[in-house]
Amino acid sequence: MPVANRIVVRTLTYVLLAAVVFAGILLLLPQPDGTVETKSSSIPEGSFAVVDAKVFDGFEFLTEHDVWVEEGRIRAVGPNLDLPPDLPRVDGRDRTLLPGLVDSHVHSYNSTLRDAVRFGVTTVLDQFTDPRLVQLQRSARETITRGDQADLFSAGMLATARGGHGTQFGVPVVTIDEPQDALNWVRDRKAEGSDWIKIIIEDGTLFGGELATLNQATVAALISAAHDEDLLAVAHVSKLEHALMAVELGIDGLVHVWIDELIDENQAAGIAESNVFVVPTLSVMATIGDRSMASELRKSAGDTPLSPMQHQTLDSTFEVADVADSTNTNNIAIENVRRLRAAGVRLIAGTDAPNPGTASGLSLHGEFRLLMRSGLTVREVLTAATSAGVDVFGIEDRGRIAPGLLADLLLVDGDLEIEIGNSTQVVATWKDGYPIDRNAGVLPDAVAPAAPDETLIADFENGIAANFGVGWQPTTDQIAGGASTAELSAKDGSLVVDGSINRGAAYPWAGAIFYPGAGPMQPVDFSDRTSLRFRVRGDGRNYVVMLFGATPAATIPPSVPFTASTEWTVVEIPLASFRTPNPSIIGGLAFVAQAPPVGVFRFELDDLEIIP
Amino acid sequence: MATSDQKTTSVGRLPIGRLVSVYVLEVRVQCLELLRTPGFTIPTLLFPLMFYVFFAVVLTFSPTAPTYLLATYTVFGLMGPSLYGFGVGLANERESGALRLKQTTPMPVSAYLLARIATALMFGMIIVAGLFLIGAFAANVTLYRWQWLGLAGVALTTVIPFCALGFALGAWIKAQAAVAIVNAIYLPMAFLSGLWIPIAILPSYLQDLAVFFPSYHQAQLALKVIDMDEGSSAIIHILVIGIYTLVFLIVAVVGFRRVMRR
Repeated sequence: MPVANRIVVRTLTYVLLAAVVFAGILLLLPQPDGTVETKSSSIPEGSFAVVDAKVFDGFEFLTEHDVWVEEGRIRAVGPNLDLPPDLPRVDGRDRTLLPGLVDSHVHSYNSTLRDAVRFGVTTVLDQFTDPRLVQLQRSARETITRGDQADLFSAGMLATARGGHGTQFGVPVVTIDEPQDALNWVRDRKAEGSDWIKIIIEDGTLFGGELATLNQATVAALISAAHDEDLLAVAHVSKLEHALMAVELGIDGLVHVWIDELIDENQAAGIAESNVFVVPTLSVMATIGDRSMASELRKSAGDTPLSPMQHQTLDSTFEVADVADSTNTNNIAIENVRRLRAAGVRLIAGTDAPNPGTASGLSLHGEFRLLMRSGLTVREVLTAATSAGVDVFGIEDRGRIAPGLLADLLLVDGDLEIEIGNSTQVVATWKDGYPIDRNAGVLPDAVAPAAPDETLIADFENGIAANFGVGWQPTTDQIAGGASTAELSAKDGSLVVDGSINRGAAYPWAGAIFYPGAGPMQPVDFSDRTSLRFRVRGDGRNYVVMLFGATPAATIPPSVPFTASTEWTVVEIPLASFRTPNPSIIGGLAFVAQAPPVGVFRFELDDLEIIP
Repeated sequence: MATSDQKTTSVGRLPIGRLVSVYVLEVRVQCLELLRTPGFTIPTLLFPLMFYVFFAVVLTFSPTAPTYLLATYTVFGLMGPSLYGFGVGLANERESGALRLKQTTPMPVSAYLLARIATALMFGMIIVAGLFLIGAFAANVTLYRWQWLGLAGVALTTVIPFCALGFALGAWIKAQAAVAIVNAIYLPMAFLSGLWIPIAILPSYLQDLAVFFPSYHQAQLALKVIDMDEGSSAIIHILVIGIYTLVFLIVAVVGFRRVMRR
């Protein structure tokens, strides 16, 4: 009997186990969006939480922390936060969340701001660009807005001698020759929107030539004028003697490390004592030293595509950079950084992208490796690339993960504390709480022309014509051998769709389709819009909106259901709820009835909009 | 007292604990028996999953097809083990004498019958779970949790009419012909009830025929959970299924009595 009992117990255990597994499967099956935890494929925006993540807060690593974002700002940070039950959640397990990265030495033009943010760099501190760009970009950094660019802070115009470094790029530069001009020059920059002053100290001798450069008196006058105007002054240097001179004259920061000789212990201690920060820009030094990071960077880009500009800058080399002893340049630069660190000098991560051999955004991840080679710890590297840069430049609303700060966040796979090389394995980047499309402007979808500014597609006050595009047409399964019918008419200021779902096609459908482009199914880019909104009433039946994208419909077009009840109701469908990689690229929007059930149907549409 | 109890036991009455053991052991025996019959396991476990992959995942003509077909294939999936277990299993045991042998043991007849149903449910769960996983992860089907649970529930009730039908077949048909007869009934019935491809695709004269099959009504109940049925009242479907079940049971019991009395 004990044997039989054992068999009975075992059998019951198996049956129970089977039932539990079955129930478990049923409970784990996916549900329609909006009622369940956000899956990794859809990234929430505005208000959401990243839960159970390893968090780098700008200074140190915290394990299993939650970060709660509300309307584009960080609301709370902590383990096991008491989050509202309906707040969208992003799974942070086996992932690291860090502040959006800050590249403290860039130059901005063409696609650099877009490329930066696609690689998780949400703020750039620009060390020379066209002042008009700074003015143009100012509102983006002062307001919480959906965008596809990094926020820009900049020195604007640089201070250089007539014919000096900085005048060769084709951007008109107001040069400066005499110390007495310094104050007016600085005031002009401030009026132009410069956030700090950048001073060029570069005689060109390391690069096989000789360049006019500012004399010591003018540099001193510029530094003191900047300080009089409450601006920081930083300096471009390539030689140790110039670095030490700038420090002596009261500079606040050096935006390159020097590559001519090694600093000694006393000199390094002097820089540390003067509280001068250094942005080594080892990335660009690697190119100068014939150790371009290009191929390493390409390999590390992960699944984020490179833009044409990034490809081009990675491929290029300095035309005139015949450094006397180029093979040693890299080693000198790295050893200098090692000595500065040992002396306690504040180091800030910056790349000098998009100079030759670099790529905007991507190069900051390469800079991590170079800083690691210079002896920095992971924590020091990430601090240099987040909280430190904005701190030294006096920017307070970002760079850390703390309540009240902007929700500029970067979520990557894996544990960065153990493997910093994972920093390009981006799961999501949020700028002001809005997710960044890492493919934006790069993948072929971008060939679609941008949508007209008008959000209203049609209000049907004057017939069935639409405000743009080809307009409305009936669509039925007759193209697939079916027998369903649909007829469109405008009546009392709305679009009436009358039809009948008849048996015949495999999957019968009929309804109305709107083509936003110049031809049927020609895609239009609605990237700046978030939702489709319309009013509808009808026979109470269920309908679907089908979205036809850029690629020909080889696959099933994604669809979202709606109901046409007898009363007018407003339906708003987020474009993101269409299951396709890029729901903003729209070639057609079909509003159709499907079988089952078969039979006649009728619905009316009005006030159709695709809204931001 | 104890001795007289023991005595009664040997002629067919078991104490409750032992009785439960007998039920459980019979489920085990029948599950193992079916598992060791590849002629059963391969078509019943594989066909629903394979057909679903073909008709819903590979050949998706409509965004709604994977969802629609998920409901009908769960019903199809449950028809297999219900009909095979009873129809083929019972016919075989009836003719081989295994049933007679079991009859001489203290095991109640109900244990034998309930074990057949339980076995069908066990296999049914595997099929439903397989279909749901394919639907969810290969065809992007999303349903509300109550719909997933409801669909599984309705699918599992398919054992009621089809175990009854299998019972009726098993009680009457010859073991040698059993597999052929079961297949000849259940495969066309599944197709004609719109379980393989949506009923709306079938020619209208076949659609009119569908209402005569219990599987059509079972499928309509399953489709009701996901709002894709043809719109008749659930009561009508349940009523039709109930009547069929009753008829099958009468036929079965008459045949089974005849066998057991022999």
